[in-house]
Amino acid sequence: MDGAGPRLIGRGDLLAALDRAVARKVTVISAPAGSGKTSLLRVWAGRPGRRHRLAVVGVQRDQHDAQQFWLALLSAVREASAPSGRAEPPAATPDFNGQAMVDRVLSELADARDGTTLVIDDLHELTSPDALAQLTRLLTNLPGGVHAVLATRRDLSLRLHQLRLAGELAEIRAADLRFSERETRELLDASGVALSDAGAALLHQRTEGWAAGLRLAAISLAGHPDPERFVAEFSGSDRTVAEYLIAEMLERQPDEVKDLLLRTSLLDRVNGELADLLTGRLGSERILLALEDANAFVVSLDPERTWFRYHHLFADLLRLELRRALPEEVPGLHRRAAEWFVQHGQVVDAIRHTQAAGDWRGAARLLADYSFSLTLDGQTQTIQALLRAFPPGVDHAELAVVHATVDLFQGRLDEAAAHLAVAETYAETPPPDRQRRLRVAIASLKLSLARRRGHFAGVLEQAKFLASPVTGPSDEDIALGSDLRVVALMNLGIVEAWSLGLPDAERHLREGAVLARRIGRPYLEVACLAQLGFASKIRPFATTRRRCNEAIALADRHGWGAEPIVAPALVTLAANLVWTGEFDEGERWLQRTERALQTDTGPGIRLLVRLASGMLQAGRGRRREALEEFSAAEHLRSQLEGSHALASQVTGWMLATQARVGLPGEARAYLAALDDERAGSGEVGNARAVISLAEGNPAAALAAVADVLDGTAPVIGYVTVVETHLLAGLAHRELGDQRAANQAAESALGLAEPDRLVLPFVMTGSAELLAALLHHETAHAALLADILDVVHGSSLAAKDQSSSPPAQELSPTELRVLRYLPTNLSRPEIASELSVSVNTVNTHVRNIYTKLQARDRSAAVQRARELRLLSAGLTR
Amino acid sequence: MRVHLPALDHGLMDPAPALYAIRIHGHLGATVLSAFPALAPQHHGVDTVLTGLLDRSALYGVLAEVEALGLDLLEVRQLTPQRKSPESDDSRSP
Repeated sequence: MDGAGPRLIGRGDLLAALDRAVARKVTVISAPAGSGKTSLLRVWAGRPGRRHRLAVVGVQRDQHDAQQFWLALLSAVREASAPSGRAEPPAATPDFNGQAMVDRVLSELADARDGTTLVIDDLHELTSPDALAQLTRLLTNLPGGVHAVLATRRDLSLRLHQLRLAGELAEIRAADLRFSERETRELLDASGVALSDAGAALLHQRTEGWAAGLRLAAISLAGHPDPERFVAEFSGSDRTVAEYLIAEMLERQPDEVKDLLLRTSLLDRVNGELADLLTGRLGSERILLALEDANAFVVSLDPERTWFRYHHLFADLLRLELRRALPEEVPGLHRRAAEWFVQHGQVVDAIRHTQAAGDWRGAARLLADYSFSLTLDGQTQTIQALLRAFPPGVDHAELAVVHATVDLFQGRLDEAAAHLAVAETYAETPPPDRQRRLRVAIASLKLSLARRRGHFAGVLEQAKFLASPVTGPSDEDIALGSDLRVVALMNLGIVEAWSLGLPDAERHLREGAVLARRIGRPYLEVACLAQLGFASKIRPFATTRRRCNEAIALADRHGWGAEPIVAPALVTLAANLVWTGEFDEGERWLQRTERALQTDTGPGIRLLVRLASGMLQAGRGRRREALEEFSAAEHLRSQLEGSHALASQVTGWMLATQARVGLPGEARAYLAALDDERAGSGEVGNARAVISLAEGNPAAALAAVADVLDGTAPVIGYVTVVETHLLAGLAHRELGDQRAANQAAESALGLAEPDRLVLPFVMTGSAELLAALLHHETAHAALLADILDVVHGSSLAAKDQSSSPPAQELSPTELRVLRYLPTNLSRPEIASELSVSVNTVNTHVRNIYTKLQARDRSAAVQRARELRLLSAGLTR
Repeated sequence: MRVHLPALDHGLMDPAPALYAIRIHGHLGATVLSAFPALAPQHHGVDTVLTGLLDRSALYGVLAEVEALGLDLLEVRQLTPQRKSPESDDSRSP
């Protein structure tokens, strides 16, 4: 390459057209391969004096996974708006929430003070329908001052008709991109090609102004001894333009350049080291740099110019030529590339090349080894595409493990079980060194499956492999083992905490969190910490709160604050606040939990939410509403396959509340049908006492709680015993034994003091019992005063309240409308986006203004930003 | 990474393969033709007509290849139209 290749030329008219187009919200550049879309964008983006910030993303070839696309987009947006990022780098999650991600990108775009232009190239490579639907939502909701430019080979099914109707959609198509005769001349001049006007006109006519054709021709023409003859011969040929010109161009390259282009064409991206490896020569990087400088269809991918890719059309033609010219070398090249990619941790590339080399067994092993980690990276669609490429009958055990992994993460539990059975059947077939790894993978997956299904009995058995330390010949082996280990620890901890109530849960979850942090898996760290928050419920409340807050803070930093993963910490914190009488604050966390659970989630966590809501209602003296919540929780409990750590609490409170609202008969009937385990629990014992009190039989009430007071009945925690003392006190009072009543109340206060429990006093209706105590000595006067405040209808102020006065809480629908306010959609447009009437939107907007104390839309948006209400991840 | 072969996995609902003729502007050389191993090329004037037995997913595989290689697609034609459902079905439709 002599450096005199074609230059990117200015193409002033086209740039002006693009400038005009970009004044609209969305510009689509839709034209076939080689039309010059990317070049146009590069020249346009590189012009000096641009006012807009640019966030540029090129979609990877065959992008199956929505999450990979969105993470790249989010990174680009962040880099454009705040190069010295304050937040954590975006990390992948195994259960990707597209809706939340779009909200996150929108809020980052809205936060950037100056306008941003989003440029997405090669959008046709995005094969995930989910990602396209999410992109539509992003494009139709772009905040003011933000524009998007999309480049694609073909029209995509993005539903942008609303933008089109609003005149906010501009299109640039193949005909606009075609070079004019004058531009052809300019390109030739810039490339140092001396060609007559007639020759230039002929070239323009033969290529029909097709950008790739002209650029290819210019490369061959630069330094050609007889440019006129070249054009005449080209013009006289019936061959297709690209094929003819690529053959001509390769013909004129030095052998080492030609060899490099052919041999590296089978890579999606190449660097000097890889090219040296495939060509067996040194100095490839120099050639790649020279090719890019000559603009010969080679583009660097990073500012340091270490990675390059070829223009797709160019690469496709080179690849065909490679297969024709050096067919016997192709498998070996793929194998060498695969080895390099494995060594550099680029697993998906490695597997693709191993497959392309025809080494199906090797590819199956790689995929089996890495499928778990890839799933954690959110690449299940990619795994499925890789699976489809295997011919039938390859390595049953290894691929069955991969299928099981994908099924499990996508919630197809029966299929996962079937694939695991296949994997076990064939587990003896691989060589011994593979067998151990395969068994660990199978055990870990069975553990996940058992946890998801609520078949807890098998969990401890499957978890045995955790006892042996992770070892392996390489760091990579250890890292892979660690992924399995963290998830196993998490599953084990969850089962121990939720079902068996074992103290080991805390240890396992903490170990899992520590290991997750060490191997750089923030999502798993958040998951373990959030579960640890729940598992800490028997700890001092301060410890539980600290752990919950830690989990929530980490989730917020990663933008997962509104994801189901953090819900256990959110609901535990809410319940904790309700226990101590901080009802308003508790209610806010409960609302945030509801938002986090909008997507998936099983009955276990829903049960907790209903339980905490019931506590809140009961704390506020709304017994009927509390009964509804407890009954809902009890219904969810009955749907669980396994046991639930709080089952007796749910049943006990439902029965007690039934009795309190005047339905002791129903409670009795339900009680009679209980299994022995729950019937014998302290929580149900308390309920029996409440029922007896409601029936006017205080002696029976005392008898009901005797087991709890002498410590023989199992209880979930000391909080149950506080309640027991109070119920005993109420019974003594009914029986006229004021001294015993006072003693019982004082015992309850003494137990409640360290955590400053308030709820049991309110729930049991112990106001008068406590009032009597006022005239006597009590060691707990301050707590007593707090409790009486709550009994008389106030919510205790949260101790760790934030400094800014909280705005009146917006309803979820108001929040949805609020998110549209920073866009320039009109109210009727917002209404149609949300499929509601304009009147409804007007009402919501009015309420939003009142609640945020804003006079107009921009003031509301500003206030909402201050309160961080616009980012779904930070709302509370 | 793109594999230059028509897609291999046949959908279950795929109708039987049919004979297709795909007309492309220009003469395709050996390099580009190697992308269409299942099709027989023939020059018609300045065009090339590729003919072969394709089921639906193979057909779309070929079209994707035509797009990827920047070829000028002029016409896609089915040479043996598939039998329609029985006449009686048509007569019952409103």
